[in-house]
Amino acid sequence: MSSMRLAFSSDRPRPLSSLAVDERAVVADVHADDAGRAERLLSLGVTPGAAVTMLQKLPGVVFLCDQTELAVERIVADAILVRREERQT
Amino acid sequence: MSCHVVAERAAASHKLLTLRAHPLRIALVGQPNVGKSVVFGRLTGRYVTVSNYPGTTVSVTKGRALVGAEVCDVIDTPGVNTLDGTISEDERITRDVVAGPDTDLIVQVADARNVRRALMLTSQLHASGKPMVLALNMIDEAHERGVSIDAPALAAALGIPVIEMIAVEGRGLSELRDALPRAARPLVPAHPHANDRAVWAHQLTERVRRVSTLSLAYVQEALARATRRPVTGLPILAVVLYALYLFVGVFGAQTLVKLLEDGLFGQGINPAATWLADRFVPFPIVRDFLVGEYGLITMGVTYAIAIVLPVVATFFLMFGFLEDSGYIPRLAIFCDRIFRVMGLNGKAVLPMVLGLGCDTMATMTTRILGTPKERLIAILLLALGIPCSAQLATIMGILGGISFAALMTLFAVVLSQMFLVGWLAARVLTGDRSEFILELPPIRWPRFGNLLTKTRLRVWWYLGEAVPLFLVGTTLLFALDRVGALVWIAAAGRPVVTGLLGLPPAASQMFVMGFLRRDYGAAGLFQLAHSGQLTGVQAVVALTVMTLFVPCVANFLMMVRERGLKTGIAILGVVTPVAIFTGAGLNYVLHAFGVQF
Repeated sequence: MSSMRLAFSSDRPRPLSSLAVDERAVVADVHADDAGRAERLLSLGVTPGAAVTMLQKLPGVVFLCDQTELAVERIVADAILVRREERQT
Repeated sequence: MSCHVVAERAAASHKLLTLRAHPLRIALVGQPNVGKSVVFGRLTGRYVTVSNYPGTTVSVTKGRALVGAEVCDVIDTPGVNTLDGTISEDERITRDVVAGPDTDLIVQVADARNVRRALMLTSQLHASGKPMVLALNMIDEAHERGVSIDAPALAAALGIPVIEMIAVEGRGLSELRDALPRAARPLVPAHPHANDRAVWAHQLTERVRRVSTLSLAYVQEALARATRRPVTGLPILAVVLYALYLFVGVFGAQTLVKLLEDGLFGQGINPAATWLADRFVPFPIVRDFLVGEYGLITMGVTYAIAIVLPVVATFFLMFGFLEDSGYIPRLAIFCDRIFRVMGLNGKAVLPMVLGLGCDTMATMTTRILGTPKERLIAILLLALGIPCSAQLATIMGILGGISFAALMTLFAVVLSQMFLVGWLAARVLTGDRSEFILELPPIRWPRFGNLLTKTRLRVWWYLGEAVPLFLVGTTLLFALDRVGALVWIAAAGRPVVTGLLGLPPAASQMFVMGFLRRDYGAAGLFQLAHSGQLTGVQAVVALTVMTLFVPCVANFLMMVRERGLKTGIAILGVVTPVAIFTGAGLNYVLHAFGVQF
């Protein structure tokens, strides 16, 4: 089902928070702020190229990044940019 | 490990174990929750409290281990995600150990599933220039979830020994010991940028790790899902709270307390001590001091052992279970929005729940929170509203015997006060709230042996903190009673205690004791209630006020240590009037509506 959705989307990065539950993507970039958000996420493995799967969106966003389950608030999920999963070759 | 480079390096570093004046010093380093402390325990035979969240291993733990015929010093460090950039207090401690002259060799412990994150840390550890061994722990969990690692290929790529292990079962430990002489500096390209490190770790991981979509850990994964989703998570939370109430409030605070207080102390120890004192202690004042109304044995020891111990023990057992299972961080998802109103984020649930065990311990754990403002608010709320296990014991012991409605009234009042004070503090205090980002550990079935050891250590720590203060308190009460000051205090407190709060005059001295330790004061109230001197409404009012007080001298000292004397006194200055006026208001409302419990 998610492949249908992906077929229509362009490959421009979009926020993690826009993923549907169970949808998969790859981290493209993280918007930095003054308080070290990007650094903290990086140290938890949220780095460009990491595979992510959205697990739930309420009451807070929970996603799987590689093999780590992370809970974040909405603003953080908005700051993580993802793009379509690369096709396995 | 057939690689030539590895063999040469191994030969060079073999000197490590043979040519030195002091024992070889090994630091265990790794991400939080990868089993470092278990590896430490297996290597040294010592036990460290294992926790699913940072902030509890506040300082490093040292032990000795035998490697071959050689004795080594092993250092366990707090779990870290990074050693670069803006780092937390824990991370600084670990960085200092790693970079310092007192470490000869680093054993990096990693969660085998999360090899990518582990490698990012490896690349930072490389900067220390010290020889390393990489231990891939929990290889069984990785397999269950369809993750397999080509350890020889990883070892060849890094040029260091890579050991697969299951530390809780002791598997891989002898291989780790054997590998120590072959420790080497990892072959990591220089990475000026954190992003380059991430790319390197990612590419190496892609080469050595295979992830299949087939997972055998159905049960754990289903539980992990159920505990974090609102539809199932909230009912599960209700069940957990009810189980906590049954185990701690009913079994601990009622069944066990009754057994110990009426049985062991009431019929055994206290009559025996009185009999012995009557026979062998010639001075009446000493006799009274030991076994009188405010006697060291009949009051101090009885409170500590008969009333407090059963609850502390049952609470820490249950808490340890929830902690080891990985459940507590999942609560943070549900609490995030509520805590945000109070200027905190979901992470604050960790110190708050720990505070139900011991507020002093929890005050220390507020270090995991991101900003000074958050820490201050959390410390204030801990002091104001979170009853520690000993106090929870007496609350449940007294109100559980009266009615469920009485118990709920107290909790509702205390929670609304915390909410109100937190809301105000979030607006009055300057500073920022940090964003909520939390790693959720996998759901695991706790190991019973670990659980018992952990509970034993915590209860022991708690008694070490509490019993001396109980004895000091008893001595103080005894002295005050002797010089006639108790009557005077009761008289001085009358306008507040009897007037505002509507309590019997005898409750005054319990509040004096409550300043020393609020559970001690509550234990005094317990005896008042037990002997029928408190009505239901009086019990609820008295306990509400006692709960809202600052927990104990130790907690106050910890606040001063963490935030400074001025802040400590300011918190005291906020908490005390809030406690008294809330009690007065509650007393007024309950009477106005003619409530009986």
